[in-house]
Amino acid sequence: MSNTTVSKEDAVVIERTFDAPADLIWQMWADPEHFKQWYGPKGFTVPVAEMDLRVGGKRLICMASPDGSMKMWTTGEYVEIVPNQRLIYTESPADENGNVVSPSAMGMPEGYPATTEVTVSLEELDGRTRMVMTHAGVPAESGAGGGWEQAFDKLTDYIQAALNE
Amino acid sequence: MMRRDNDRLSQIFGALANPTRRAILARLAEGEATVNELAEPFDMSLPAISKHIKVLERAGLITQGQQAQYRPCTIDVTPLKEVSKWTEQYRHIWEASFDRMDEYISQLNNKEISDE
Repeated sequence: MSNTTVSKEDAVVIERTFDAPADLIWQMWADPEHFKQWYGPKGFTVPVAEMDLRVGGKRLICMASPDGSMKMWTTGEYVEIVPNQRLIYTESPADENGNVVSPSAMGMPEGYPATTEVTVSLEELDGRTRMVMTHAGVPAESGAGGGWEQAFDKLTDYIQAALNE
Repeated sequence: MMRRDNDRLSQIFGALANPTRRAILARLAEGEATVNELAEPFDMSLPAISKHIKVLERAGLITQGQQAQYRPCTIDVTPLKEVSKWTEQYRHIWEASFDRMDEYISQLNNKEISDE
């Protein structure tokens, strides 16, 4: 496996090459049973993964913390489906019924975009598959955001000012 | 290189995932303080507070003076900036996920071979 990570201001772009054909990597994303095996932070489980795999079809995913005390639900819909090549879906924090909730109601720091978009591109070569995953923030209509970052910037300014005194 | 960045992020997240340590950081944002001063508001022993300080120090969030008699602690916000963007937090989750995907695929491949 080889990895490259590209930094962008408003998106996460991760490229990986797996020793597996593209149709298997596709199943990792498109088949809920496979998806549950790998998705989420270390130690987390995925008790629910509903995927209506068609354009406009809904997703509902639940991630549970290692001790099961915290559950995080996300929903979204499929934007583009080209089997074994390209998958695009949106993602928003949700409740267990799939109703979208604001990121701050989920306990996420301010600055989290309400809706993000995940794009997975697959390219098979000699039985190996290069996967490029892009997770981008969809600009919020309110134009709000950057709360956390601003808080840290303020903290930095405060400390620098204090040190200069 | 990337694996090391991930470990570093884990360390920063781990250090921040504790209310006492966040309170210590908030106190240090007001200015440097000795371990005794940091311990004051908490119903905790000095060794317990020292442990929290060591965790923060390892994450690069605070530095402790080596020479002054009272070894005051100061905050370093550089690591906080690393985790301040939503993209960095998601990156952390995705990297861990894809590590697991890779392991899972290896398991599937091995199963296929042993099934043949």
